[in-house]
Amino acid sequence: MISNGRYSLLFNALFTLFMVGPLVVVIGVSFTPTGYLEFPPSGLSLRWFAAILDNPDFIDAAWVSLKLGIASATVSTIVAVPAALAIGREKFSGREALQALFLSPLTVPTVVLGIAFLRLLSVLELNGTFVGLVLCHAIIITPFVLRLVLSSVVGMDRSIEKAAISLGASNWTVFRRITMPLIMPGIVGGWVLAFITSFDELTVTVFIVNPSTTTLPVRLFSHITQTTDPLIASVSTVVILFTVALMLLINRFYGLDRLLMGETK
Amino acid sequence: MSFLEIKALTKRFSETTAVEDFSLTVERGEFVSLLGPSGCGKTTTLQMIAGFEQPTSGSIILHGRNLAKIPARKRGLGIVFQTYALFPHMTVEQNVAFGLEMRGIPEPDRRQKVAAALDLVKLSHLAKRLPKAMSGGQRQRVALARALVIEPELLLLDEPLSNLDAKLREEMQLELRRIQQEAGVTTLLVTHDQSEAMALSDRIAVMQSGRLMQLGTPFDTYETPKSTFISNFLGKTNCLNARLVSTTGTASTLVINGIEVSGPSVNLLPGDVMASLRPERIDIVESSDGHTEAKVLERIFLGDQWLFRLETKLGELLVVRRNRGRREAEPGENVFIVWQPEHLQILPASRESA
Repeated sequence: MISNGRYSLLFNALFTLFMVGPLVVVIGVSFTPTGYLEFPPSGLSLRWFAAILDNPDFIDAAWVSLKLGIASATVSTIVAVPAALAIGREKFSGREALQALFLSPLTVPTVVLGIAFLRLLSVLELNGTFVGLVLCHAIIITPFVLRLVLSSVVGMDRSIEKAAISLGASNWTVFRRITMPLIMPGIVGGWVLAFITSFDELTVTVFIVNPSTTTLPVRLFSHITQTTDPLIASVSTVVILFTVALMLLINRFYGLDRLLMGETK
Repeated sequence: MSFLEIKALTKRFSETTAVEDFSLTVERGEFVSLLGPSGCGKTTTLQMIAGFEQPTSGSIILHGRNLAKIPARKRGLGIVFQTYALFPHMTVEQNVAFGLEMRGIPEPDRRQKVAAALDLVKLSHLAKRLPKAMSGGQRQRVALARALVIEPELLLLDEPLSNLDAKLREEMQLELRRIQQEAGVTTLLVTHDQSEAMALSDRIAVMQSGRLMQLGTPFDTYETPKSTFISNFLGKTNCLNARLVSTTGTASTLVINGIEVSGPSVNLLPGDVMASLRPERIDIVESSDGHTEAKVLERIFLGDQWLFRLETKLGELLVVRRNRGRREAEPGENVFIVWQPEHLQILPASRESA
């Protein structure tokens, strides 16, 4: 074991504090009995959690976000897996270009993407629809899925597939019984990361939602621009708890290391 | 007609020729090795037989069946890969059963065949294990069982022992030979390890730069190599630049480094040649009587044998001597060496200095 030096320990402590601090503040604020944002809270009250129930538009928005995250993560996974298989192992002209194209949403400024999507959706007459949202989110989050799937595809020993072929397996059987199970860590990891990214997306989404398809981040954002009551803190706390629960669940059944590192063994 | 006939097989990639005009016939039940340094085309040849590469020209006929139009998955060959290529998410049993499952063999038969295959490789007690919980040697056996259980007409082994450590490799060589003979399966082994090829095969096909250089039993190939490359590649040897002065039906005369030496009769024209002398064919003696003088430069103790580097008038020579538990000459000491003229191999002078 290599133990950390004093300075790196200090650095790590500060870094962790910086990461966790805002979450602690948000959670603290959400328990305030007062009508304004205060930290530390002067008392302990569930008043603002109860208030969520009086604001069905937050709950509706959360449902939209949840459905949107699941749908767009699934769509992008279905697109990214074959793409990763092709990019990761085949040699064809335009391979680099294809990869760059798939990863480009990461490099284009999100504001620009938002405006572009707005135009695109009006051309397609999908403006403000749920389908339109899924389409746009899928495009934004595909790079995340692609990268994780790609890393597990590249890390896979191809002679394993050859062995299956030599034993008589058809291409589809090889994919279903061998390739897919072996790149599953990448697929699951990519899907979860894509889901979280979609659930969290604000900049692009602001351009393309309408009142009936408002997502939770957009709803929170517009709430903040109007008032500054602790309702946003309690909603945020619920989202934080939801995310933590999701992570614990994944860790229990899958292992977070495996998810985030894309490890295959 | 032979069991496996490879005729004029050639594989060209865009810029290089990996295999050129390679022909080989293998009899049923035979164990043949394709031996050569990396990049000699042996693996490409194997890949073409397996169906993972398409030949540029030439044909492969197995048991009267031309493999050209048959896809890899329908060739029914057993293949053991260098990395073993076990399915990491399946147990040993499931790995071995995979090929039977693909053939639609019903469950009871399948179980029986899997059990027999695991028994053959002595792994019955580990049937429920996952490959990652096994040692290299055990994985190797699983790979073998998986390849053999489908009763292949031909077993292809791609450097199967190269990932094992030296001691285990020797054990597995014996084991592999036993399993191959028990299963009675025609086998083609690809390897760069000459000792592996010699230990396992009935015949060795030595390849260099995509071509078949020599084909023969391990003993013949070792004793009468056709070139200095083969002589160097199969075991250790001392290669000396020589000039062939004359050769008759029974003997020949050479000049090495200004010294006249006699050798066996040879089918070469007088002129520049290479003389190869195996280290184990040279004897170190104490009496001078007509023998060549030598000075010990270095000696290495290898347990069962000694390796000497000697300075002689012919040039530097390596000599291997069995350890008989006696004192041996030390560095700096003067000794005499002797060898039988017929043990001198006279080979055409090669351009490549192998």
